[in-house]
This record gives sequence, C-alpha cells and structure tokens, in this order.
Amino acid sequence: MQEFRLEAYLPILLMFIVALGFAAGNILLSQLVGQRKQTRTKLMPYECGKDPVGSARERFSVKFYLIAMIFILFDIEVIFLVPWAVVFKQLAAQGAMMRNLVYVEMMIFVALLLVGYIYVVKKGAFDWGERARREAEAEARALKDMQKGREPSTNARAA
Amino acid sequence: MNFFAVALQAGTSPDINFPLILPEMIVCGVAVLVMFLDAFMRRSQRWVTGGLSLLGLAAGAAATIWLWTRGAGSLGTFNGMIVLDEIRLSFTLVVIFVSALTVLLSVVWVEGEHLPAGEFHSLLLFATSGMMLMASGGDLVIIFLGLEILSIATYVMCGFRRTDLRSNESSLKYFILGSFSSAFLLYGIALVYGATATVRGSGVVAGTTNIAQIGERVMAGDIMYPALLFAGAAFMLVGFGFKIATAPFHVWTPDVYEGAPTPVTAFMAAGPKAAGFASFLRVFIFGFPFVGAVASASSATNVHDAWLHALAILAIITMSVGNVAAIVQNNVKRMLAYSSIAHAGYALVGFVAAGAATDATQRADALAAVAFYMLTYAVMNLGAFAVVTLIARQNDRRTEVEDYNGIGFRAPALSFTLSIFLLSLLGMPLTAGFIGKVAVFASALNVGSSAPAASSLYTILVVIGVLNTAISAYYYLRLIIVMFFRERTTEWAVPRIPASMALVLVITILGVFYLGLFPGRVLDAFKRKPASGAVTQIAR
Repeated sequence: MQEFRLEAYLPILLMFIVALGFAAGNILLSQLVGQRKQTRTKLMPYECGKDPVGSARERFSVKFYLIAMIFILFDIEVIFLVPWAVVFKQLAAQGAMMRNLVYVEMMIFVALLLVGYIYVVKKGAFDWGERARREAEAEARALKDMQKGREPSTNARAA
Repeated sequence: MNFFAVALQAGTSPDINFPLILPEMIVCGVAVLVMFLDAFMRRSQRWVTGGLSLLGLAAGAAATIWLWTRGAGSLGTFNGMIVLDEIRLSFTLVVIFVSALTVLLSVVWVEGEHLPAGEFHSLLLFATSGMMLMASGGDLVIIFLGLEILSIATYVMCGFRRTDLRSNESSLKYFILGSFSSAFLLYGIALVYGATATVRGSGVVAGTTNIAQIGERVMAGDIMYPALLFAGAAFMLVGFGFKIATAPFHVWTPDVYEGAPTPVTAFMAAGPKAAGFASFLRVFIFGFPFVGAVASASSATNVHDAWLHALAILAIITMSVGNVAAIVQNNVKRMLAYSSIAHAGYALVGFVAAGAATDATQRADALAAVAFYMLTYAVMNLGAFAVVTLIARQNDRRTEVEDYNGIGFRAPALSFTLSIFLLSLLGMPLTAGFIGKVAVFASALNVGSSAPAASSLYTILVVIGVLNTAISAYYYLRLIIVMFFRERTTEWAVPRIPASMALVLVITILGVFYLGLFPGRVLDAFKRKPASGAVTQIAR
C-alpha cells in the first residue's frame, strides 16, 4: 500500500483551477468586450431552444434522441483512447513487434468507429432537410397501411 | 484482466495468438462488411447481404473445423481469455449452423415485411459473434462481453417489426428483464472475483476471473472468502438460468417468443440457448469442479454439491413447468416457447451428469451429449418455426392453433414436415429428438451407476424426464390432430414455399433423420479433442 500524500493530488487541484478560470474568464470576456443587442427572444430565459412557457408535453423530433445516442456512443468509445495513450510509450518500449501490434490494434478500433460513423451518415441520421422528412413520412404512411392488415399484395410474397 | 495491464505487469509481450480467434474475427468482420454494404446500397438487397452472411458463416465454420483438426499453431491464449477445447468448438459449430439457417429462413421474410434486410443480417451476424465468444471465453469477462454482444443484437431483432405492438412489447420486455439478468450475472462475477482472493507467501493475491484459475484455487481450497463464492455462484446461476430459460427464471420466454417475429423466435430458441449452455457449462463445471480427492469439509466440495443439487432441482422444475404449461396454450408460438423451456430442462439433466461425472471420459461424454442435444434441438426447432413462419403469413397473423385446422391434406408438404418436427420434438425413435434425449439421459444414468452416493438422484431425474416426455405428447400430437382431423371453416390459401424456405425444410428434415439414424459420427466428433491439446482447460 502506498502512503497517502496530499501533494500527489496537486494536479487535480490545478485542473480545477484551470477549469474554473476558463469558465469564469470566458463569461467575463464576453461581458466586457462582447456587443449587446437585446431582442425579445434573447431576453427569454434559456431553455435549450424551446419555448420556456407552455406545455411540457410538446412533441419534438425523434432525431434528438438519435443525436444524443450517437453522441454518447462516440463519446464512450473515444474515452477508450485515453488509457491507450497513457500506456502506449511503456508498451512500445518493449520492442518493435509490440509497438506495431498496439498501434495497429488501436487503428483497427478507430477504423471501426469510422465505419460506424459512415453508416450513420449514409442512413441519414444527420439529414434534417425537407426531403429526408418527406421520405420518412412516406415510409411511416406505408407502414401504417400495412399494419391495418391489408392482405399482402402478391408481389410482396413472391420469392 | 486488461490486456494492457497484464502486459505491463508481466513486462513481456502479451500472449497474442490471432489464429485462435479466427472464427470470431471472420464472423465479426463479415458483420461489419454487411453493415457497410447496407449503408451504400439504396434498396436493401436481401440476396447480396444474405449471401454474404452465408459465405461469412461458412468461412467461420471452416475456420472452426480448421482449429479443431489442425490446431492454432503457437500456444498463446490471450492470457487465458480464450480457450480451445471441444466444448467451444462443438457449440461454435452449433451456433453457426443456427445462424446460417436463420439467414435462409429470413431472407424472403424480411423483404415481405418491408424491413431492412441488411440491418437484420448484420445484427444476426453480430449476435453470432457474441455467441461464439460466449462459447470460447475462458474468462468471465469475455463471457459477459459475448453475452452483451448477443443480447443487444437480439433485443433489436425482437422489436424488428417496428409498427407491431406485440413486437415492441416483446423487445421491451426482453430488454428490461434481460438487462436485469445481466446485472445478476455481473454481480455474481464481481463476488466470485472478490471471493477468490488468496494468500500467497507473505502477501494477498487479488481474485481472478479466469475460469481455469478459479477452478484451481477452489480445488486447492485456498480461497479467502468461501461464503462469497457461494453467493457469487448463486447469482451467476440466476443470470445464466435466465438466458437459457430455466423454470423459475423463464417467465419472459412465452411473451418474448410470441411477440418477436417468427424467424427471430426460431433463432432465439436455438442459438442463444446453445451459447448460454456453453458458457454455463464452462463456468460451473470447470470453475467449480468436482473433486473427490479433497476432504469433504473443503469449500470446493461444498460449492460443487450446492450447485449440482440446485441444478438438479431446477431441471425437474423446468421440465415439469414447461410441459404442463404448454398443454394449455392456444398459440403455436407460445406453445413452442414452453416446449423450448422444457427442452432446456432435458438438457440440464445432461449438465448435471457432466457436473457429477467422476472421471474425465464420463464428463466428456456428458458434455458431448449436451452439445449434441443442442444441435438436435436446433435442427427440429428451426424446421418447426420455418413452417410456422410460412403459415403465419405477413405480420405473423396466423399463429393460433385454430389457424392450423384442417390444413393437413390441403398443404401436405407443409403439414407432413411440421408433423415430423413435432414428433422429433416429442422424441419419437428414428428422429433426432429421440437420440438427443437418449444421450443426455444415458449420461445421467451412467454417472448415477458409478457415483458412490446419491445415485438415486440421477435415476429420479431420468424418470421425471421420461414422464415429462409422456406429458409433452399431448400438445405435440394435438397440433398434428388439428392439422389432419379437424374441419376448416374459414377460407385458406395454401402458402407458396419460396426456394430458400424449401432449402431450410430440406436441410432440417435431412438433419432430423441423419442425427436420428446415424448419431455416432457427430457424437464422436463432438468428443474429439482439438489437435493442439496444450491450450485446453484444466489437466485433471
């Protein structure tokens, strides 16, 4: 067991100070040098782009969930890069084969992330345009018709 | 634990041996490829993605057989994370077989339901790679990883018919209960890890999640917290019991199987059950092994006896509950769900026999019997569900028993094949189901006759198993009677059988009779040790 030493936690304290300074500094800076044009909308309490007064049960696009989910996925996957970066030098010191192996493994991981990203883009998860919306609505209508229990058309059953 | 951490501690290069995980890598790679293709093709091309999936699975199977006969070259095992033994290889072949048949089963269906084929096939392949990892994991962490890869893909597949409420219900129920059971398993793993800490020399060595090491420490009797080990084993029993649908943890099965799209139900009843059995067997038989030599007061014998008796009781409850509840079902999918619970019970008899075996040959026989049982169950179950898929039509509308009224002579091909599968599920001689039951029951009787104490337990197990088979005759034969001897009052058009479905039916019918008439070759193959024996589990 290592002895507990408070000094060892100094970097964390520094990190706190930097983070605090960054936040406070930015607010101060924009207060001091930023220009101000006050409009009605700007003076409303900030509520993530939604109307702050009104029904809370408003419907909003399912795409928000999709974006949030994709964000979390990539976020967690990228976190895996951090421990790798921390131990990379130590592992690489063990020889060329080890170095290459550890490097290639991580590149495969990043390539897989990229494949996922390309998939998401191609599937139109980030497409907020009118056309994507119309296509989605058409698909929803088709599915709804199907659910109503129409007899399957012959071409749908054909092998 | 962690690959990097181990490498750092040891100061040597890690124990890498890529050929050892070749089948998993192939299937996983093809899954990514299918996903990629799906993204780039405008309309989902079921034949392209389906054909590619089949090729990938065939390559995975070839790699598995290569591992079995030629061996993996050097002896690296990823620090004990991956094992190479006959359990892994036989169960891997079973799950690959199940997935290949599911691809064939779904390739027309997925288009008929207007669902994205590429997504379905890549999910199926990811689930398969998860199942293969469950079979090959020599470490609790890898097994859990495989289980999660499998589960997450199956949750999505259950809810694949997005506009159908039953499908949504099935997916949600499976997701909530499945995560709950995963939590049980994970908690069990954590407790076992804590319990297996041990004293070496002057210091305490941390616990282990490696199954072979757990087995060694339990056998040596030098684990620090035996009581925790019991708790951990109990939690893991619940977790695995859920996955293979044993009786007190089976309540999700009928709802999920009924609501899920029929090809997915076929897959879930055969594949994940086999994979669950593979890791369940590995953890309990190699992690908490039987040791006659150790004094009876030691923790090893205690934990072994505890799980063995618990499993014997579970087997009895599972068989009985599954069969009795199946009698009152009016929905064919629900009935087959209860039948799948009952079959898990029969396979558990073989599991108990493998656990109680006093020597290595007996154990190998019992393990091969369980793997063989899973194969026979997969063959007849997939065949039965293929017919159910054809009769159910779009949206799974016709799955009640009434829908089978009087179709016998109007669609003779379908009803005769379904009858053969039902008779095989019942365990008629000459069919695969019979030999499967004989194999697991015989292994239990063998163990019973050579075990010094409690031999009556195994006889009782087998007697209850046979009685349950008699009970099951009611509901299997009922469907056959309904098909051939009832009048049909409503209009009914004979479903067309697409080529891929016909192929599934031919393969499964041939399988039922091949395994029923010539089981010896497969059973012997499942007992065969891999070529490079140095990386097997424990030397007993």
